[in-house]
Amino acid sequence: MSTTTMEPQGPRPTRLTPARIGVYAFLVVSAAFFLLPLYVMLITSIKPMAEIRLGNLFSFPLAPTIEPWIKAWTYACTGVNCDGIKVGFLNSFRILVPSVIVSIALGATIGYALSFWRPRGANFLFAVLLLGAFIPYQVFLYPLVRMLSTVGLYNSLPGIVVVHTIFGLPLMTLLFRNFYAGIPIDLFKAARVDGGGFWAIFFRLMLPLSTPIIIVAVILQVTGIWNDFLFGLIFAGRENFPMTVELNNVVNTTTGEREYNVNMAATILTALVPLIVYFVSGRWFVRGIAAGAVKG
Amino acid sequence: MKRMTKAMFGAAAMVALMVGSASAAEKAEVIHWWTSGGEAAAVQEFAAAFNAAGGEWVDAAVAGGGGDAARTAGINRIVGGNPPTAMQFNTGKQFDELVTQGLLSPLDDVADAEGWKQHINPLVLAAVTRDGKIYAAPVNIHSNIWLWYSPAALEKAGATAPKNWDEFFAAGDKLKAAGIVPVAQSGDAWTQVLTFNNVLIGAGGKDLYYKIYKDLDVDAVKSPEFKKVADIFAKLRDYTDAGMQGRQWNQATAMIVTGQAGFNFMGDWAKGEVIAAGKTPGTDVGCIPGLGNQEFWIGGDVFVFPVNKDPEATKAQKLLEKVLLSPEAQVAFNNKKGSIPVRDDVDLSKVDACAAQGIALAKAGNVVESTDILISPDVSGSFTDAIASFFSDKSKTSDDFVASIASIVEGAK
Amino acid sequence: MKPRFFRSIAAQIALLPAWLIVIFAYLGTIAWTIRISFTSTKVFPTYDFVGLKQYERLFATERWIISGQNLFIFGACFIIGCLIFGFLLAVFIDQKIRAESVFRTIFLYPYAMSFIVTGLVWQWTLNPTLGVQQTVRNWGWQDFTFDWLVRGDRAIYVIAIAGIWQASGLVMAILLAGLRGVDQELWKAAKVDGIPTWRVYLHIIVPMLSPMFVTATVLLATAVVKVYDLVIALTGGGPGISTEVPAKFVIDYLFNRQNVGLATAASTVMFITVLVVLAPWLYSQYFRGQRGRGA
Repeated sequence: MSTTTMEPQGPRPTRLTPARIGVYAFLVVSAAFFLLPLYVMLITSIKPMAEIRLGNLFSFPLAPTIEPWIKAWTYACTGVNCDGIKVGFLNSFRILVPSVIVSIALGATIGYALSFWRPRGANFLFAVLLLGAFIPYQVFLYPLVRMLSTVGLYNSLPGIVVVHTIFGLPLMTLLFRNFYAGIPIDLFKAARVDGGGFWAIFFRLMLPLSTPIIIVAVILQVTGIWNDFLFGLIFAGRENFPMTVELNNVVNTTTGEREYNVNMAATILTALVPLIVYFVSGRWFVRGIAAGAVKG
Repeated sequence: MKRMTKAMFGAAAMVALMVGSASAAEKAEVIHWWTSGGEAAAVQEFAAAFNAAGGEWVDAAVAGGGGDAARTAGINRIVGGNPPTAMQFNTGKQFDELVTQGLLSPLDDVADAEGWKQHINPLVLAAVTRDGKIYAAPVNIHSNIWLWYSPAALEKAGATAPKNWDEFFAAGDKLKAAGIVPVAQSGDAWTQVLTFNNVLIGAGGKDLYYKIYKDLDVDAVKSPEFKKVADIFAKLRDYTDAGMQGRQWNQATAMIVTGQAGFNFMGDWAKGEVIAAGKTPGTDVGCIPGLGNQEFWIGGDVFVFPVNKDPEATKAQKLLEKVLLSPEAQVAFNNKKGSIPVRDDVDLSKVDACAAQGIALAKAGNVVESTDILISPDVSGSFTDAIASFFSDKSKTSDDFVASIASIVEGAK
Repeated sequence: MKPRFFRSIAAQIALLPAWLIVIFAYLGTIAWTIRISFTSTKVFPTYDFVGLKQYERLFATERWIISGQNLFIFGACFIIGCLIFGFLLAVFIDQKIRAESVFRTIFLYPYAMSFIVTGLVWQWTLNPTLGVQQTVRNWGWQDFTFDWLVRGDRAIYVIAIAGIWQASGLVMAILLAGLRGVDQELWKAAKVDGIPTWRVYLHIIVPMLSPMFVTATVLLATAVVKVYDLVIALTGGGPGISTEVPAKFVIDYLFNRQNVGLATAASTVMFITVLVVLAPWLYSQYFRGQRGRGA
């Protein structure tokens, strides 16, 4: 992994040729395609309803207003409650932080054990986890509700953390297992000769090496868990409803006409956390993947 | 070690805090899906009445899908042993299995004390009774089979309110010529089912309706009467506009409130939207309770009260049961909701012109029970698939439709 | 013998949570699902035995058949579309361009947003009376038509387009990582031999990146089997039932339509299909020729 540079590796033209212009044209057109929905969301969120009724979806606002943002955050209604989506914001964090930590810690340990220790049944365990990645979540809902209620975790914060851990496990295990598969086995053997035990090698040797893949794991888990709607609705309980559930309520609550500007503002607010994570750490994401996450 | 004890102590305190906030007296957590403008205003009446009676209404509205999301959340909580105080269902079979599993409390003590059996419409009472016991509190009667129209749009197109289906299509052609959308229809499947039932009862009549949904009579599906219904339903497809997909029911209703469209098939909750827009049902927006055959459909909403081990919660349930069916709350709620009260001993003088028509029909015995009462959610789902796939695909003929309905009826026996 | 034994103890303890999850959450759930699919369960489990009745009904249901076809169409368009588009983006970004990080972030950001969030915008943009079609008509092209979202025979492709929008950035990131690992000598050699750039990409680079393509395909495939949010947000399965998918079939029957027996039968069919498709690949990819590692 240390041999991978982050410099572009393609052929290196120097002057502005027609081919160069073609490259930029393609990138700019693609970027426009990718940005279109974000653009629509942003301009709609600052238009007053009167302008939205005109139906010019892509036109620039004539009288921009931040009122929809304030309403979405503080007093948009669902049913009897008019508290906006701010309620869910904190809940989402309370779900997010422990879920991300637990699922990554578990995934890293398992990936490490599978790669270097290979205890009895490891292959079987890994096969089931991989298969698990392909099973639609819906299949698990009903039995999981019953299991969690048997152990008294249903409709609680620990309950939703357990659920996110269960469903994050296949991907996390796969990531770390593949990453550790790229670490020279001699390094591990040397540590064994020096008398390192299971946990000692993990904490002193492997974990410090794992920064790139941990970043990838954090990005994927933060995105996945923050955006989850179904599990939050079913397992978290009303006091812990995440922001996406509030968003769904706000977007589907209509008073006469749909307040598209408020909906869009609520939407952007909900997406803010994963978006910031991506903007800040996008560079490391590609680097982390390059560092071994993709070794088949 | 010391640090660890401290951490554990902290965790315990947090748990205590979380649990503590969930247990205060007379608190009732209510799951429902009333989130549109008129609906939210109506449920506010219940919340206010309950709070005034000494309770504390904890609102757990879950929006979306005609109650799908709310029912998913609520049923899972009941199964998971952490039930809400009360939960909304539609009048009918949706909560049958909860009763057979013994997960719902019977309400007979409150019902006897409050005179439910004397004053609640007998069809509604039958719909919430299982093995002689009452298992749900009905709160309203909704009729699904209304045809709403915009007098302004009709006038502009030179048409008049129709009395039968031929006049309806004639008016539709005039609206089209005037550049007005004839039928404002939502793309959601359940609204298309509602439109179909309008046609089935209006053009086919009450007997045909019962033969299909109650007797599951395949011959009735293959009869010329049903073919006529299928033909009319097929023809309706040509009177909707391209904006149908992605439109919600209240957006469709808003189109006739503003005169952008001529007609809208919708239940009487449409009135909630009309009133919320500052208009008067019956004058600004016209209403026909079943075009061709006028009937009053008996459907609506009920609340069930899951069995609860917590005596405080049980107390709150009893109070809520009483409040929901108190004459005052009934009138206040139903006026906002657009439905009619389930009790006959309440003040009906303030109801609007459309509701008055409905009440008159119900008194005269011109009523049909809703499909939710007659068929299971499973069978109802099959009907929904067939109806929606036919209505949104103009390449399917009415004969295809008859065949697909026939196979559902055959399979449902 | 002794070291191996101790080694296993420590590792097995570390794997204990994984075993618990696999046994209870995965295997237990699958076994329960298969068992229930042979019963007449409506809402609450009844452990009777009705043979293959639920399966017979399943395959006689038009909606299930359509769901299967849609999954196939969506899966093919989505995976191929993402791979091609993602590869092109990666190649073009790898041309020593300016503002590389800006472009990369733009291509990657949709992956950060859930479809509860972006579905509405897509629904809107593609709605003939509101979005692209109306805008182009307002510009003067009165005959312009783009109404795929409301056409039963086309709507599933629109869902694939929205899916490609969301996921091709991820493919780009994975392939870009691969491109950055290509030896510089290769380009020099190709230049000396006078091989056109596009041929180098097609015949040398693509085969070199095949492990990355495999990883990307696996990630995309898991998304295909699970596709649900996308459909709910964009079409709700409509027009009619033309964009229904298996996952939505399962959840509808599980909760709203109260026929758990049929829903579990559908889940079982999905599970077996995945198993049949995946088992050979899993075996060849992860379990063959690995002996000798981890000594």
